[in-house]
Amino acid sequence: MSKQVTVAVKRQDTQTSGSRWETFSIPYEPGLNVTTILQRIAANPVTVEGESSTPVAFDACCLEEVCGACTMRVNGRVRQACTALVDNLLAEQPDRITLEPMTKFPVVRDLHVDRSAMFESLKRVHAWITADGYFDRGAAPRMSQDAQEDAYPLTTCMTCGCCVESCPQFNDGSSFIGPAAISQAVLFNEHPVGKFDANARMEVLAGDGGIADCGNAQNCLKVCPKNIPLTQSLAKAGRAATKYVISRFLQK
Amino acid sequence: MAQQAAKTDSFAVRHHFLIRRLHSLCGLVPIGVFLCIHLTVNASINAGAAEFETQVGYIHALGWLLKPVEIMFIFLPLLFHGVLGLQIWFSGQPNVSTYKYGGNFRYMFQRVTGGIAFVFILYHLWHMHWLGAPFGGGKFIAHGEGMTESAATAMQDVVFGVPASVLYGIGVLSAVYHLANGIWTSLITWGITIGPLAQRRAGYACSAFGVMLAVVGLSGVRGFKTFEPEADSHMVGVDTDVPPPFVKTVSDPGGS
Amino acid sequence: MANEKDRVVVIGGGLAGLAAAMRLAEAEIEVDLISMVPVKRSHSVCAQGGINSVNPATRELGDSEWLHLDDTVYGGDFLQHQPPVKEMCDWGPRIIDLMDRLGVSFNRTPEGFRDQRRFGGTMYKRTAFAGATTGQQLIYALDEQCRRWESEGLIRKFEYWEFLGPILDDNGICRGAVAQDMFSMEVRSFPAKALILAHGGCGLIFGRSTMSMICTGGAAGRAYKAGVKYANGEFFQVHPTAIPGTDKLRLMSESARGEGGRVWVPRKPQDERDPRSIPESERYYFLEERYPKYGNLVPRDIATREIFDICVNDKLSIDPERLCVYLDLTHLPSETHRKLEGILEIYEKFQATDPRVTPMKIFPGVHYSMGGLWCDFEKDEKTGGLALGSPRNHQSNVEGLFVIGEADYQYHGGNRLGANSLLSCIFTGMIVAPSVQNYMSSTNGGATDPPSTLFEREAARHQADCDALIARDGNENPYTLHQELGDSMTRNVTVVRDNAAIKETLVKIDEIEKRYANAALTDKGSWTNQNLSFTRALGDMILLARVIAEGALKRDECRGAHYKPAFQIKPPDAEDPAEMRRQAAEWCEAFAKQIKRWLKTTIAENTPDGPSFSYEAVDTSLIPPRPRTYGLKGAEIIDEVWKQRMAGEQAGAPTEPVASV
Repeated sequence: MSKQVTVAVKRQDTQTSGSRWETFSIPYEPGLNVTTILQRIAANPVTVEGESSTPVAFDACCLEEVCGACTMRVNGRVRQACTALVDNLLAEQPDRITLEPMTKFPVVRDLHVDRSAMFESLKRVHAWITADGYFDRGAAPRMSQDAQEDAYPLTTCMTCGCCVESCPQFNDGSSFIGPAAISQAVLFNEHPVGKFDANARMEVLAGDGGIADCGNAQNCLKVCPKNIPLTQSLAKAGRAATKYVISRFLQK
Repeated sequence: MAQQAAKTDSFAVRHHFLIRRLHSLCGLVPIGVFLCIHLTVNASINAGAAEFETQVGYIHALGWLLKPVEIMFIFLPLLFHGVLGLQIWFSGQPNVSTYKYGGNFRYMFQRVTGGIAFVFILYHLWHMHWLGAPFGGGKFIAHGEGMTESAATAMQDVVFGVPASVLYGIGVLSAVYHLANGIWTSLITWGITIGPLAQRRAGYACSAFGVMLAVVGLSGVRGFKTFEPEADSHMVGVDTDVPPPFVKTVSDPGGS
Repeated sequence: MANEKDRVVVIGGGLAGLAAAMRLAEAEIEVDLISMVPVKRSHSVCAQGGINSVNPATRELGDSEWLHLDDTVYGGDFLQHQPPVKEMCDWGPRIIDLMDRLGVSFNRTPEGFRDQRRFGGTMYKRTAFAGATTGQQLIYALDEQCRRWESEGLIRKFEYWEFLGPILDDNGICRGAVAQDMFSMEVRSFPAKALILAHGGCGLIFGRSTMSMICTGGAAGRAYKAGVKYANGEFFQVHPTAIPGTDKLRLMSESARGEGGRVWVPRKPQDERDPRSIPESERYYFLEERYPKYGNLVPRDIATREIFDICVNDKLSIDPERLCVYLDLTHLPSETHRKLEGILEIYEKFQATDPRVTPMKIFPGVHYSMGGLWCDFEKDEKTGGLALGSPRNHQSNVEGLFVIGEADYQYHGGNRLGANSLLSCIFTGMIVAPSVQNYMSSTNGGATDPPSTLFEREAARHQADCDALIARDGNENPYTLHQELGDSMTRNVTVVRDNAAIKETLVKIDEIEKRYANAALTDKGSWTNQNLSFTRALGDMILLARVIAEGALKRDECRGAHYKPAFQIKPPDAEDPAEMRRQAAEWCEAFAKQIKRWLKTTIAENTPDGPSFSYEAVDTSLIPPRPRTYGLKGAEIIDEVWKQRMAGEQAGAPTEPVASV
């Protein structure tokens, strides 16, 4: 018999039901990744005990690590399932691969969670440029190469949720909006036009759930699949909030 | 529009940022500064009981002002920093078993050491401070306040036991870690160190500071434990009821 | 809240759908935006290269919107209507300026202007880019704008909702859409005055492609089934170098070959040795041997065809299971490796092997659907471009139903130019909004209210379809069927097309369709049933696969990405100049005939007996078609003969009147 990969999946039928583990065995092949494993399970959802099950629900889209959909906990650690290669996972943990949903978001079903809170946070921090309209008004102000190079990494944030999943400060008991949203606020506050709305963003960053709730564990930086300098954004937000609050106080 | 804090929100919610910044600030000044002074003064026991008594004397030279100053600049900030700190601790969910990163351990230790230090300080206050006197504590009485014994010997009395000195060692180390790491995180929080390199350099500086302060702090504990009052001819035994001579007149640098 | 019936429903939240929603919101029209994924995760994020437009730097060198138009239609082998393309090229600079204003972090020149790079199919550096993730940056900017409108109440997002079909009233006018909540599985109607489909491409019909998992063609199939015509289905772009993965194909940039990468296979079929230990003499550098002049840097379509040919016809694929060849960079110096670092890391990330020491395995991958749902346009006779705001623009043959983005067929003809897709998606979204607005205010479009029972009836019909699919018994596995469909389509209907082989695939499609009727779900639940969603989409894939395959079978010529060697005009091969000239004249004669017969849009309409095909003239009123002679022997002579021929036609009898649509 060819080499098999044992995969334990934490399953949950509905938002409110309890969870259980199911174990599947998938034929090994070179280059196998976790999204493929889930596709293989969908095609033949039979557990190692020989019991018929259902395809595992999971969120996935581009499979190239640019859309941010397939975030889950693989071997306990949050990451994108598409770049989680079986060879590397077995090196971490030789006997089996475990797949679990993220813990910081409500589970919809199996590995599929509801991350709408993250998109709501983007609304809260006003993560957009307030354009007058979409008619022809020429280009944006010129920007130095350095400024573009600073901004670019922040613009690659795909709202995947790895940073908040690993953040000890982001949880049910806290109103912290998390590194991703704060980093976007910093991105727009540094944009030549985006900074016109800086005060609206600063109100949020200097409010409840804002930058003051960062605990500097810096896990976000370690787990970010896009290597976004999140801690730098957080520190910038801290500096800006300090200045903002002092000047707000003095100008009142 | 971004949400602004609504009027109906509680005071804590509306002033969340300010409260957190105040928490950070009072951890540095006055508490952090006081810790440094306190540990340095304690360490002066290694330079002889007389030196220690001199340092204590400087503090107590404030006279009646001492109590209000203590309350305003030490106890209230400590209480605020400690209680809020505990709340911050419990609002987070440490996850070092999954994410074994250095920063994550630092985060967790910051909370744990803060908790230990807080409990230790309560114990320490009961044990040493006049606040503890009504509860059978309050062992440390400096001169000039109806002194029955020397500050140094009082210290030795209470720290001399092995359990107490271990306790004090742990307490001092926790407080020192909490301060050193707190300085490092506050540099980020306040937006002073932004980039990874700046933060790493600040990390080295804070580590060095922490190690130094730990040495100072532990040397104080060790100093009290090993200090022998009998060797100092000017010191009076603990168990005597005879009032000791005024410390400032006695000066023997080579005493210990 | 405004009248529910005054809403517009947009299906799909990629670049096109978001651009349309944003412009409608700007015009204070309320929008329901329906998407299978949070819009920020749409497939547009995968576009890496950039977005084309004329710019001050290229203008300085003589570039113009007209030349952009010319490059686009020449690259597309003249199969696209020219007025919309002209309008798009005219809008290019404006659109890039707008995206710049919306915060896209385009790369900069030292002076702080937007930087541009050169892409295939042009001599000018027209392509603005934001790192290697231009598509991601562009869609994020539009996503942010839509979030802003959402917070102002003009856009309602329905994310994780799947489009099930348009709602047509008894007069065949589109009155909204039916969609299903992918979590609760609730089916409901979304009444609307106009429906805009912006659902993207349908690469999953080919099994694994470079497209995202949501690019099933489900929405296209459902619109087609409801009566929307499907145009140029057989035109699919295949990228020569993709990394074959177990779940999908991922692009490997052309720069790997540009920097000296060599493509080869072992001469011994499926040689199991470590590639590094195979001696030079036993390696077949087929591109270098077959095209000594260009070597590994043959044009994209040729590279694609040769790699395909070596694996499928010569059966020299490295891996017997998975077709692929080596793209070898191991011989390159480390400075070159450093230059290619970005793309080497992608390979390493997904393949877990270091391409610096082990040759990469690559294979062409289905990449973009040039064809799509049919839609109309109105030409502005004065400008030669579009009559902006005309309700005909992007409206399909179903009144009130508009199609934009990769879902439509209008901009790329037989072959898409790199970095034109991002432009066409944003452009179509931008211009469809005023057309929809004018349609809504016109008296004939949806002015009278449909009976409310229509919406209940349509929702109930789709609910019944879902229930039937869930209840279906049978022993066929939808995932296996999908794989079989994809394998057959990839083998016979992608790069090199042969009528006998296509017929084979059509037989296979018949078989799969029969077996599909017995495909049963393993998940019969009514909560987040992804099994249902996939199996339903498979039905649509089968429907469209037939449109694609039959369209390819019927089109007996070579045009753009559609390459059928049996019908290729024989290239001149004479050495003698006089003979060469005669052959060139012959070639041009055959080419003129081919234009007359085949320069037409393939139109498929759904009937109970399968697709019914018709052909529609292409509007080439701006730039007359001319031969694409790249790489042909005697190219200069053919060009010359063709020019003389055209001049003669103009002097003598006028050419046939330009077909209008």
